[in-house]
This record gives sequence, C-alpha cells and structure tokens, in this order.
Amino acid sequence: MFVHNFQYMFKVLMRNRMLIFWTFAFPLILGTFFNMAFSNIESSEKFDVIDIAVVDNEEFNNNVNLKNALAALGDSKSKEQMFDIQYVTEAKAKKLLEEDKIAGYLLFQGEKQKIVVAESGINETIFKSVVEEITQTVDVVNAVAQNEIKQQMEEGNLQGMDAATAEKIGREVLERVQGQEVSIKNISRKNLSYTMIEFYTLIAMTCLYGGIIGMTAMNQNLANMSSNGKRVAMTPSNKGTVVLSSVCAGYVIQLIGIVLLFLYTIFIIKVDYGKELPFIVLLALVGCLAGLSMGIAIGALVKAGEGAKIGIIIAVTMLGCFLSGMMGITMKYVIDKNVPLVNQLNPAGMITDGFYSLYYYGAGSRYLFDVISLLIFSAVLLLLSFGNLRRVKYDSI
Amino acid sequence: MTVFKAFLKVLNQCKGTVILYSVILIVFGALNMQTNDNSTNFVASRPDVLVINHDEEKGITKELISYLKKNTEFIKVEDSEEARNDALFYRDVNYIVYIPRDYRADVLAGKNPEIEIKSTGDYQSYYAQLLLERYMKTTRNYVDICRAEDGSVDETALLEQVKSTLKKETAVETTSKLDADKLGRLSRYFNFMNYGLLAGAIFTICMVLASFNKEVIRRRILISSMKRRTHNRLLLLSNALFAVFLWAAYTVIGFILCGTEFFATKQGIAYMANSFVFMFCAVTIAFLLANLIQNKEALNGIINVIALGSCFLCGAFVPVEYLPDGVLAAAHILPSYWYIQNNETVKTIETWNFETVKPLLVNMGVILAFSVAFIILANLLSGRKRENA
Amino acid sequence: MANVIEVKNLTKEYKELRAVDDLSFEVRQGEILGLLGPNGSGKSTTINCILSLLNFQKGEIQIFGQEMKPDAYSIKRDIGVVFQDVAVFEELTVYENLNYFCGLYVQDKETRETYIDEAIALVGLEEFRKFRPKKLSGGLLRRLNIACGIAHKPRLIFLDEPTVAVDPQSRNNILDGIKMLRDRGATIVYTTHYMEEVEMICDRVMILDKGKVLAQGSCDELKKLAKIEEKVTVEVAKLQEAILEKIRALKHVEEVKYEDGVLSVVYRAGTNNLVKLIDFLETEAISYSKIYSERPTLNDVFLELTGKELRD
Repeated sequence: MFVHNFQYMFKVLMRNRMLIFWTFAFPLILGTFFNMAFSNIESSEKFDVIDIAVVDNEEFNNNVNLKNALAALGDSKSKEQMFDIQYVTEAKAKKLLEEDKIAGYLLFQGEKQKIVVAESGINETIFKSVVEEITQTVDVVNAVAQNEIKQQMEEGNLQGMDAATAEKIGREVLERVQGQEVSIKNISRKNLSYTMIEFYTLIAMTCLYGGIIGMTAMNQNLANMSSNGKRVAMTPSNKGTVVLSSVCAGYVIQLIGIVLLFLYTIFIIKVDYGKELPFIVLLALVGCLAGLSMGIAIGALVKAGEGAKIGIIIAVTMLGCFLSGMMGITMKYVIDKNVPLVNQLNPAGMITDGFYSLYYYGAGSRYLFDVISLLIFSAVLLLLSFGNLRRVKYDSI
Repeated sequence: MTVFKAFLKVLNQCKGTVILYSVILIVFGALNMQTNDNSTNFVASRPDVLVINHDEEKGITKELISYLKKNTEFIKVEDSEEARNDALFYRDVNYIVYIPRDYRADVLAGKNPEIEIKSTGDYQSYYAQLLLERYMKTTRNYVDICRAEDGSVDETALLEQVKSTLKKETAVETTSKLDADKLGRLSRYFNFMNYGLLAGAIFTICMVLASFNKEVIRRRILISSMKRRTHNRLLLLSNALFAVFLWAAYTVIGFILCGTEFFATKQGIAYMANSFVFMFCAVTIAFLLANLIQNKEALNGIINVIALGSCFLCGAFVPVEYLPDGVLAAAHILPSYWYIQNNETVKTIETWNFETVKPLLVNMGVILAFSVAFIILANLLSGRKRENA
Repeated sequence: MANVIEVKNLTKEYKELRAVDDLSFEVRQGEILGLLGPNGSGKSTTINCILSLLNFQKGEIQIFGQEMKPDAYSIKRDIGVVFQDVAVFEELTVYENLNYFCGLYVQDKETRETYIDEAIALVGLEEFRKFRPKKLSGGLLRRLNIACGIAHKPRLIFLDEPTVAVDPQSRNNILDGIKMLRDRGATIVYTTHYMEEVEMICDRVMILDKGKVLAQGSCDELKKLAKIEEKVTVEVAKLQEAILEKIRALKHVEEVKYEDGVLSVVYRAGTNNLVKLIDFLETEAISYSKIYSERPTLNDVFLELTGKELRD
C-alpha cells in the first residue's frame, strides 16, 4: 500500500508542471539572476588604484619631498601602487574632475596645498589622507632631524655641522622614518564573501517552496480537500499510511529539487557552502522538512482552494526570504541585530543563518541552534496539523 | 460602474498579495531610513570601526582611541566575538582594532607591539588601516626623541609631538553641494519601488484580467449588449485607477519614510513623474501578459520571474554601480533599466535646466515607447484570439 | 432477500440546517435503488453519512450486517463509489488512474490487471487507455470516473449523479453498464434527478426531500400515488366559457384549462374518460383536431410530492 501510493504520488507530482516550475526551475532562474547581479559586487569593493591628477606647476616641482613621495605611490610597477596620477594643467584637471575621470586633484598655491574633489567619498578621503600623510611625514622628519642635530651639537660635533652633514642627517632620518615598521596582524576570518547570503536565501526559498509539493500530495488524500481524497477515503487503506507515503513522495521530490540547486550553485555558479559536507546535507534535509511541515500545516489547517494555499505558501516564503536578506543582504543583519526573534521564528531565516554559520564559523553551536530551531519549527507545525489530519470523519465536506 | 464593481470584487481576492508587496516595501523603506547602509552607501567617508581595548585607557593608548574616533565612525556592537564577526561579515563594521594589553608600556619601552585587526578588505577598511598605521608609525618615530638619558619617556611631550603632527591637514574643496546621503536613500526607495510596482501591480491586474479573460466569461462578455471595446476600455480604466492608487500610496509612503522635505522639490517631482510613467508601463505589461497567458498559476510564475529579474538585473536590489557592464548592457531591453537610470540621474542633478533634465525626459520617453509597444502587442494578440475563437 | 444497507433514524445537522431528518430505510440485495430528490434534498449528504465520511448527530448504519465505521476495511473493500465530481488525477492516464485507485483495494498485480481490463471494457474506454483526463470529452470523463469506482468489483455500488452533463449516447452506454453490474450480482444505490433514468433502470425508488423520505416503491407503485389518473389534451379552435363550465361538471374531472387553442382536462379517476369527452364534444358540435390521453409520469408524482417551487 505504502509503496503503491508512493509510486503513484511521485508520478502525479512529477507530472505537475506548475510544481516543477516553482520548485525546480524557479530557484535556478533566480540563482542565475543573483549570479549576474552579484558577480561584481565584492570585487568592486576591493581596494583598487585611485585615479587622481596633480596640477603640474612650479610650486609643485619645488616641493621635492612630496613630488618624490607621490611618484613612488603612483609607480605602476610597484606593488604598493595606490594612485594612477596624471600631471596636468589646472584647467585640464578641472575638466577631468567634471567628467568624473578622477576622484580629485592636488593643487599648490604658494606654500599651501589644496585638494579639489567633486563630492566627499571614500576615494576622496583616501586621497586626502595620503597627501596628509606625506606632509606629516615631512613634519616628523623635520622634528626628528632637528632633534638629531641638536644632540650631535650637544655631543660637541658642532664643528662638523655643515650643510652637507645636515643634509646627510636629514636623508638618514627620512629613510629611517619611512622605513619605520609597525606590526599589524590581520586575524579576520576567511569566508567574508557576504553575497553568499543571497544563495543561502535561495536554498531557503527552495526548501520552503517545497512545501507546495507535500501540500499538494497530501490534499489528494484528504476527503475534505479534494474529490480524489473522498475516493481514497472509501478504499480499505489506512489513512495514516496513505498520507504518510504521499508526504514522503513530496519530500523526495523536494530533495531532488534541492540537489539540483546545489549542483547548479556549486558547479556552475561556484557558491561556497563551507567545507563540511555532512552538515550541509543535514541542514538541507532539515530545511526541506521545515518546508514540508509548513506545507502540511497550511494544507491541513487552512480551509481554502489549492490555488489559495499555494498563494499563501509563496507569500510566506517570499516574506521570510525578504527578512533573511534575499532582496538586500543588510536586511538579515539588521533584523538579527535589532529584532533577533523575528528571524528565529522565520524558517527562511533559520535556514539562511544555518548556512551562514556553517560557512563563516563552521559547524558549531550556532549552526546547531539553527538546526534545532528548524526541527522544533517542524515539530510544532506537524503537531498542530496532526489533530486535523487524524480526523477520518468530517462535519462537512 | 458594473465593470468597475466586478473589478473590485475580483481585486478583493488578490488583496493578500498586494498587502504582502506593500509590507515588503514599507519594511524596506523603514530600514533604509534607519541604517547607515554600507553595502550600498558607497560615499561614506568615515569607515565604521570597532575598537576593543585590552590596555588601560591612558596616554598613547587613549590618544590612539581618540584619534580613531575623530576620523572614523565608532559602531556599537554587542560585546561578544560572534556579534563582532557578524558585524564584520555584514559590513556593519569595516575594521576591528584589538589593542593588546601593555600596548602603551611596550611602545614607551621602544618595543614594536603587535596590534591585531579584522578587516573586510574594502576601501573603507583600507582607510581605517591607513589611519591606524599612521598613528603607530608616528608614535614610534617620536618615542626615541622624547626618551631621556635614563631611558624613560616623557609621555606628555610625546603626545604633544604626535598631536601636532597629526593635526597637519590638507585643505579640501568640494565642488558638489547635494545632500547625497538623503537623496541616495530616497533614490534607493524609488528603485526598490520597481519591485512593488512590478510584482504587486502586475500580479493583481493580471489576476483580475485572467478572471475576466477566462474563456467562458470572455464569450459571455462578447455576446453581452456592451460593446467589446467599451468593456475593454472600462476594464483598462479600472486597472489604471487601481494602479494610480497603488502608485500614490507607495509614493506617499516613500516620502514619509525617506524625507518629507523632498516632497515639493524638483527632485521629488522628478521621482514622482518617473515612477508614474513606470507605473503606467507596468499596467501595460500586465495587459500584455494577461492577453498572452490565461492560466493563473503560470501567470504567477512568469510575473515573479519578470519582477525579480528586472529588479536584480537593472539595479533595484543591487546598486547600479556594482552591476557588471555586461548585465547592464543586457538590461537595456527592460523598462526597469530606464526607470532606475532616471532615479540615479535625479540624485546627481545639481542645476535644473533643460540640458540637465533632457536625459530624464529621454528615459521616460523610452519607458513610454515600451508601454506603447506592449499595448500594440496586446491588442494584436487579443484580436487574433477573437478570430480563432 | 437480505438487506445490504440498513439506515435507522439517521439525523445530520449542519449549523442551522437539518439536512437529513430522522431517516430510516434499507437497501435490498441485488436491487438498483433510485434516490430521487431535488437539489439540496439531502441525497449526497445521506450517502456521505452512510459511507462514514460525514459525522452525524444520530442514527445507526449497517452495511452487510456490520456497523459502518471509517476503519471498517472489510466493508469498504466491497463498496464502490462513483462521486458526483469527477475524481481522477489530471496527471495520470486513464490506465494509471485505474491502476492507482484499484491498487488501493487489490494488492495482487495480475488480478488487478484483469480487473482493470474488465472495467475499461465495461465503460468502453479501450481506445483511450493512454489518454490523460484533459483530452477526454465530458462523457468519456464520466465513464472513467465510473470505471475508477467499480474496477475492484464491489458488491455494493453508490452512484451519485454519474450522468450529469453527459450526451444521450454516453448516458445510455453508462446506464447499460449499470444494469450489467446489477445483473452480475451487485447492489446499486443510484442518485439522480433524471426521471427517465430512474424509470429505465431502478427496481425501487425513494423520493427524498428536506431530509425525509416522501415516498418509496417501484416506479409503478409510485405513479399510483398521483392524485390524477389521466390527462386528456384536445386541440380546439374556439371554445366558450359556458362549455368549459359544462366540462368542469363532468364526472371525475379535477381541472379544466383552455389556453392558446388547447384544452386540457385532468381526471381524478374513472375509465373511458377519453371516449366520454369525445362524446361530449360531439354532442356540443365542437370541432377538434388532435386529441390524446396521458397517464401520469414519475415527473408528475415527483413535482406533486416535492412542490413546484424553484430550488437552489
């Protein structure tokens, strides 16, 4: 009985074009959109050479320190290159700025120097900061060199303090100051690629949409939901067995959909789910279960047409995915930070967070918390539906 | 009136969907207002930094913190490493500085203590690192000249030196005078409205039209005493009224959430005009789709693909500047592209004259051209269907 | 003959409506029982109660001498139901649908296959085995619906308006099939509101309205319930009111009407009414063209019992 019903429900579901669209094709289409939209976002965020201009006038040429320092930072052969510098006239610099070709330009007017930018942005800020750093370094060198000279004089080396020696001291100090090393150690976690969240929400969406499959399969066996269900109710088959095997058929199809999505995202879109395969599989299984439970609950508890029920599942899923970052990754963080309860109750949030934890932190307590939350979510919904499902006689059909 | 009443009745059945998309839009708008969204707000010049100080807040350590505070935005994050890591991942914080215990003592002793950091690796964090390095270098450069014979360091003098050096700033002249931040928010809201209008309006209108277009009902209308043209026109009018209502609601919500001060400004009017034209286009898309496809479930799928596709590929969800050139080039075939381009343009216009407004008008013209094309196509299709019937 | 179904004092109430009101009846072995009643008279509700799909407030139901319960699988095995709505899977072919539903009764594959073949032959769907329901016409779809209900060779079959929206050809085919099932030994409960169907196939008829049995018996027995005995219709060109009065005064006449040149006279009882009327017309020297006499139909009985007001 179980096998017979399972086989046929599997066939029925697989031949339902709408179901297959929502659970198999739609996530793949969406994944492709994500891939197109996000392929650039992180690489464009990485630090890149900033385009600037310097007004090539007499004052600039006289300021040797700054000129040399800028030349070093603009050296395209150097690894430390920071700027792509054009040495131009003031008029040309203005034009470049207007055309948005450069972030800003440096202008010397007498002793003073000035940076001209179009708006305040991070490139402009870095530009300003670097120019400041150069002048500040000069300031440091001057202070340290003066101190050096003073010391040498105190030690009685005054006689030898001619211009050449002073310059020699100055050069030494400059080298020392520029070569001054500080140690900064980057201890960030790897896996900082936050666009991964998008793909995790996609998995969440697929898991939850999968509820439509279970719901459809189950409705075919409920006398109060469909005329097929009435027919099934009249057969000498145990209702529990029939419903269970239908739901199982739905679950298996759901898993096939998820596997397809994983294969597509891993091998074609190159999404990183972290390294721990068994935990990824566990989360996918539990996620699908949550979707299935949602489908069962909506199928069993909501008295409405099948179209309306599918509508409800889609709406709940979309809202859940929105809250867990599908339409803007920051959304998930803002919710997690300010109203954590929302995403702890949101199945899409639990699934997304589970994959995120796995990717960023590895299989730890947070991952476990998400998995357990999903299990509790499923259990509660199944229990709620159970009362309605167990009923074999109805007040009205 | 009869047609309009029937329209409202069918519409009533789709209220769930309309409410859903409206709620999404409002939540987006509200959060957009509150967050200083780094992933999209590219022009913030103060990186978001978190300092975890394990040292005593004294002397050069205190000065380091206040130097960073002066030049960066300090972010409050729950006091746990996990919360910090989350904050870093979602770019709430660009740079985390862990000042080690005895940092001050070590520097004064001439050692080179190591500072641990966490970084997102983007421009913002790069700038934060620049600031941190500069402070550390400057103190190390000055520490020797402030050292007395006995090896002790005059910390006050050291701090004086450091401060005076770091105070040397370069004058900056900004040529633009727009409130880029607030306008950016409004612009983002209107970009996001692309989703609400496409998903919400198209879905509802299609569902209503699908009900009216159902073979049996269509025939009944064809044989009724009302002319088919009149009926179609009334139906179109009802849909248009609904769409205008939706547009007005979304627009008002937008201004309430993102800045009422823009309401009567040139920018505000430009945003409204642009979204109105786009709303019109959305209605025509709905008309075309409803004429193409009768099956409600299939319609639902296609609308979702169109709405999400337009939003992702044209820059409603992801800021336009982050989209790859190839995607943007392909997006030209979608009306949403022109709509969003306009929103982005409005944000940057400083002087309003015909020259600067022209590109807006051109883009709106393109959207209207799309609409006309959709209407013609829809009419051709419905005409052919009648012949076949 | 043993009773296959026994219903005692069945009462089913929806919120405000008493759909079945203290109903008692039985179905005998090997008969086709016609359940007649206007829309909303409680036919489907009664069947659903008997099948244990619906809860009911009061009453006892026995099938094959045993109490009917949702888990009375041994009873269910011998029941076949053809519901009013077509209950088949859109996604499965004719054969697959039959195989699925039959499989829920019959585990053995070979037996099942022969059963399905027989069912397909019975409803005449041999050429459509691999068709999906969408491709079937209304009549064929109804036949598939019936086949799904009877493929497992039940001893008791419920047919709930199986011929709604079916063309006369298909209908006759379906009715023949039902008679064949009865001839093979099945007991059949048949609901409809097509009188001619009832007259064609039912051994016994029960007229239901407002959840109560109004009358039961064979078709002929029911016809006797009619107050009228005979209805004579005459086409007369011209007739004065005085003549009408005279006709009204004739023996056994219940009702006289004259409209658009047609005179109709309804008789309560009596024999040779037609001849007597002709004699009368001739004595009055009234010329007439066509004249014919009708016996009461089941339809007359039905309308008389259930009233003529519109339902739904």
